[in-house]
Amino acid sequence: MSMKAGGNRSKPGGGNTAGAASSGAGGSGGGRQNLGRGRHSGKGPAAVIFSGVYANMRMVHVLTSVVGAKCELKVKNGAIYEGVFKTYGPECDLVLDAAHRKSPEPSIGPRKEDIVESIIFKASDVVVVTFKDVDLNFARKDNFTDAAVSGKINGEHKEKDLEPWDGGETHNSDSLESLDTDVSNGWDPNDMFKYNEEKYGVLSTYDSSLSTYTVPLERDNSEEFLKREARAAQLAEEIEASATYKARVALENDDRSEEEKYTAVVRGERESHTLSRENKYIPPGQRNREAMSWGPARQNSPRLAQNSAGPPIPRPGPHDYSPSSGADQRVVNGGTYHWPSPCPSPSSRPPSRYQSGPSSLPPRATTPTRPPSRPPSRPSRPPSHSSHPSYPTSSSSFSHHGPASPASTLPKRMSSEGPPRMSPKSQRTPRTHRVPPCRTTGVPPGVDLISHNTPGELPVSAPTRSSSSGGTWSSVVSGAHRPRSPRQNSISGSSSGSSSLSSPQTGAAPIETVATPTSASSPTAASPAPNIVTSPSGEAKECRVQETRQTSPTANKENIKPLDSSSSITRPVCKGPPSMAPDHRKQIDNLKKFSVDFRLQSSSNTDPAFDQMMTKPPRDQADKPKDLPLDKTCSVGREGIEEGVVIAAGTPGGASAPSTATNTSKPGSPAALSPSPSAPDQKRTGLDVTSQGVQTTATSTFSGLKQEEKEEKKEAVQDQVRKSTLNPNANEFKPRFTTQPKPSNTPTPPRPQGQPSPSIVVPQPPTVYSQTVCFPQMYPLTPVSPGVQKSIIWKSPAMYQVQMPHMAVSQSKPYRPVPSMPQQRSDQHHPPGTPTMMHSATAAGPPIVAPSPAYSAQYFACSPQQFSQPLVQQMPHYQSQAQHVFSPVMQGSARMMAPPTHGQPSLVSSSTTQYPEQTHTMYVSPGPMPQQYPHHSATLHPHPQHPQPSATPTGQAQQGGPPQHGGPSHPAASPVQHPQHPQAAAAAAAAAQALHLANQPPQQQMYSALAPTPPSMTPGPNPQSPQASFPSAQQTVYIHPQQVQHGYNPSHMAHVQQAHMQSGIVPSHHPAPTHPPMMLMATQGPPGGPQPPMPQASLNPIPVSSTTHFSYLAHPQVQPHHQQQL
Amino acid sequence: MAAPGPGEYFSVGSHVSCLTCLGQRVQGEVVAFDYQSKMLTLKCASSSGKPNLNDVILINLAYVSDVDIINDRTETPPPLASLNVSKLANRARTEKEDKLSQAYAISAGVSVEGQQLFQTIHKTIKDCKWQEKNIIVMDDVVISPPYQAENCKGKEGSALSHVRKIVEKHFRDVESQKSMQRSQAQQTQKDSTLSS
Repeated sequence: MSMKAGGNRSKPGGGNTAGAASSGAGGSGGGRQNLGRGRHSGKGPAAVIFSGVYANMRMVHVLTSVVGAKCELKVKNGAIYEGVFKTYGPECDLVLDAAHRKSPEPSIGPRKEDIVESIIFKASDVVVVTFKDVDLNFARKDNFTDAAVSGKINGEHKEKDLEPWDGGETHNSDSLESLDTDVSNGWDPNDMFKYNEEKYGVLSTYDSSLSTYTVPLERDNSEEFLKREARAAQLAEEIEASATYKARVALENDDRSEEEKYTAVVRGERESHTLSRENKYIPPGQRNREAMSWGPARQNSPRLAQNSAGPPIPRPGPHDYSPSSGADQRVVNGGTYHWPSPCPSPSSRPPSRYQSGPSSLPPRATTPTRPPSRPPSRPSRPPSHSSHPSYPTSSSSFSHHGPASPASTLPKRMSSEGPPRMSPKSQRTPRTHRVPPCRTTGVPPGVDLISHNTPGELPVSAPTRSSSSGGTWSSVVSGAHRPRSPRQNSISGSSSGSSSLSSPQTGAAPIETVATPTSASSPTAASPAPNIVTSPSGEAKECRVQETRQTSPTANKENIKPLDSSSSITRPVCKGPPSMAPDHRKQIDNLKKFSVDFRLQSSSNTDPAFDQMMTKPPRDQADKPKDLPLDKTCSVGREGIEEGVVIAAGTPGGASAPSTATNTSKPGSPAALSPSPSAPDQKRTGLDVTSQGVQTTATSTFSGLKQEEKEEKKEAVQDQVRKSTLNPNANEFKPRFTTQPKPSNTPTPPRPQGQPSPSIVVPQPPTVYSQTVCFPQMYPLTPVSPGVQKSIIWKSPAMYQVQMPHMAVSQSKPYRPVPSMPQQRSDQHHPPGTPTMMHSATAAGPPIVAPSPAYSAQYFACSPQQFSQPLVQQMPHYQSQAQHVFSPVMQGSARMMAPPTHGQPSLVSSSTTQYPEQTHTMYVSPGPMPQQYPHHSATLHPHPQHPQPSATPTGQAQQGGPPQHGGPSHPAASPVQHPQHPQAAAAAAAAAQALHLANQPPQQQMYSALAPTPPSMTPGPNPQSPQASFPSAQQTVYIHPQQVQHGYNPSHMAHVQQAHMQSGIVPSHHPAPTHPPMMLMATQGPPGGPQPPMPQASLNPIPVSSTTHFSYLAHPQVQPHHQQQL
Repeated sequence: MAAPGPGEYFSVGSHVSCLTCLGQRVQGEVVAFDYQSKMLTLKCASSSGKPNLNDVILINLAYVSDVDIINDRTETPPPLASLNVSKLANRARTEKEDKLSQAYAISAGVSVEGQQLFQTIHKTIKDCKWQEKNIIVMDDVVISPPYQAENCKGKEGSALSHVRKIVEKHFRDVESQKSMQRSQAQQTQKDSTLSS
């Protein structure tokens, strides 16, 4: 499980990073943090995710580790049931499989008819549950760690009771004490004899002359004796000088640790091979070591000696050693000396190897290892040695500085020599050559060649070690090269380079192709990151796309989709226009025009706010994004500052902070850019406000501001003036934003146009983002999990006032990557369409059918969006909060919720921490999960059908037929309002339906509530004063969340929706009366029609997108879980 | 409703003793405690004395009185290891199947000896099942009542001989246990008579 989780996470993380772009890892981290936070916070959002016992990690762990164990369960009345512990519920209800009531007579087993398939015990009925003889480590995953291995004992070992040793009185205490102080090495033989003689009367027959075994040497001064003595001395010298002798002595006197002897990775030999061939310089220390350890132990000393002797002296004799090597040899001979001179201590050796240059060491080592065949090669080597007399010093440069001239020359020679000699090598050698060029980036060709050559040789020389050796080899030979070079390569972006590097590691892979994959794996991690980092400055979009691709190389399928999604998302933000199709561009242009017109109409005042805006604009990254952002901001931002902010954050590419800044700046910049001074100002101010509001605004101020804004809108000039004054204060501006919804509507018109899927996609992204925020809310509504519903999602926003535009972005990012996104978008578009009217419905219709699951999700999203939007508008904080909270929730819920239909693996799921997943799995197994599933499925199916058609009609019917077309007919304020309302109602209804579908029981209630409320809303507040409606809506919203938190009463839901409806309606109403341009927009054919719906649509689309995202994410997550469970 | 305990909180790792409403005294190391459900999980030394195993006791503190914290551990509990859920699920399934098969045998009227033999064989050979009153081992060897070694029938081969060995050993062990029990019982009788 953990592993899986890890993998999943990594994927999601990648997606997040891609989305986040500059924020990079922050995205994924954010997601996890959210989860973690939710969990830990426990009571709040966490409760939503894991309710009851499920929120208790340790309880979950213990109970889960006991699953499958037999247990005896005592109930209140004293009855005892015995069964196999199957699972447990969030309320700590326990499920026993094959349970039977234990009879007082223990010996008799249960009869078949006594056994119940499974019994669910309520926690309140359980007194004690006893699991006997449970192995708590049964299911532990870390079975292969040192601790786990050592902790396991084969068989049962009872610890023997330790008894204190009683030495008795026979021994004097002083004898014990003497052990501590006695420095002597045991007994002196004479003491032993003496002791035995005294104590036991035993006389030793020991004769120091050993006359029994030998004859004493009779020394005389005869010539013969002297000759013999000289001869003996000579022989002794030869013997002692011989390599074999040294080796054996070394073995005997080897001080090295077992680790070094048997466990440590051996690099010397291979190195030696390469070196021997090349006659590279070997550092004395290494020589000694090799001679000491390997040479003697494994192979013939003479060879070693020769090798060590190096080029100059062919002789095998130790004497031949060069001065530098001499010291080492001496050490070897001496045995005791070993380490001091060359390698002071075994520990020191390793470093020496690496630094001093593996090359030096290997040669000698190689010699021993090499079979007799090698000797022939020696002769050839000598020349090379001669050529590289300076090696000792150069060796270091070699390894480190690869590029060093000597090194380069050597490698070439090596390569040339290698292939001809060894047939097998030859094949590989070519490879090496190829590789080097690829690497060109940072590493000197020479170095590469060397490394490559070595591997090639290795196989030939030492076939046994070939695979493993290859890895060590490369590392040793290249030394620092590897690590460095691969990185460099990765940075440079040349995969080939990395491949080459990787290939040595793999060793086995002879072909370049193989190498490339490997390179991808290893280097990719490093390379992609740098790329991303660097790129962010340039174009966030592209970066994102790249990131997504790079990050998720593993899952190509997913990547592709994610890419699209990401690209689309990014487009809206940054590139929006360029990415858009020509039609889209036209739409955008129209939007721009609208924005300009709107601005002109709105006011001609350039306010201080404008200046502020100007200041912000500089931040904007690119002009392109600005234009789009303007449109978007106009529509989205005005509708809900929150959305705008969110969108901006999302669009920037997931860069959290920068994105927010950019977003705000974008709107501002466009305003500045736009010819019309007045309108831009308002917008700017609005934008400023939004940004500020997001960051710091208070809800209370919002409501008041909103009202003011409405009024202002009505009176454009006056309002503008006011706004100018207000603008300085963030709070004031916010209200405008709320009022702005109409302006947003104007911009939205393009969206409707876009609704045809592609065009829509661009504008939607922002909406999507906002929706994402809302989503979490939606989820709770969904029946996914009872616990979840109860979840404090609503509260959570209040709880967490942390401003997290970034977070939202990050979240959005993960979603983007999701493969399913494109479909979702289309779906999203559709949902907006539904609110818009018949048209939208028709447009949406076809797509909806295809992505049924997505639809359901969208619908859900829509309803939540509405909720969230009002909330969001009022409370930018909420958005951020909601996002945070929600994201975790969503993920968690998603897993739970995820319908089986969605096969796509969700990155999001992976993003979740391992533990959560585990816990999830745990949870899943328990009862609650299954219920959720059915709901989803049910919801999903109904949604596709109902959502657009049914929802719209219902809303219309209630409100009245006209609403559908009302958008276009808006010219009259009142009528417009009504139509809008109906639309809004329809949208709300659709959302509600979706929700209902999701939550089967609540649906009806929702409907009823919605139906009555919307009409009321339309007639009352809207016509009279948008302001009034707003506050009310806000209030309602606030209240509702709490209610929702407490319990999921359908009535509450209905209220919430109503509130949403109001909010949605309100904006439309306000704009219509106040802003003539708005009307125009609406009337203007395609845009106009969509406009009225636009607000709704915008809202809906956002939710939809968010929902879709969620659904996808959720689905993938869920699916895995299910599988696991199953 | 008994008090949940001092501070209404049990720190993981502390040793707790409590008395259930059914008069059972429970003591062990706190492994987990869920306040909302009032469920306390204790880990105790295995009742069978096996060192590698533990008894895990889940207590509903709502039915517990006299909660004592013997010693409190302030150290942070060790991190939780990830669990192999599939392994757990498999265990649950096999345990259930075993129990059901056992119940089947019992309901089929198999003698206690037969059931014991089945359990013994099942320990070494998982592939054994009941067929009516016959024990089928590895689909190859059939042991019919009264389940003696000579009742093992099947294709001559290592499987049959192996099963026979198991059966023989089983009854040998049973006999030795019985004799042990008898001797103990006799001793106790003697003791009682002597004492009286």
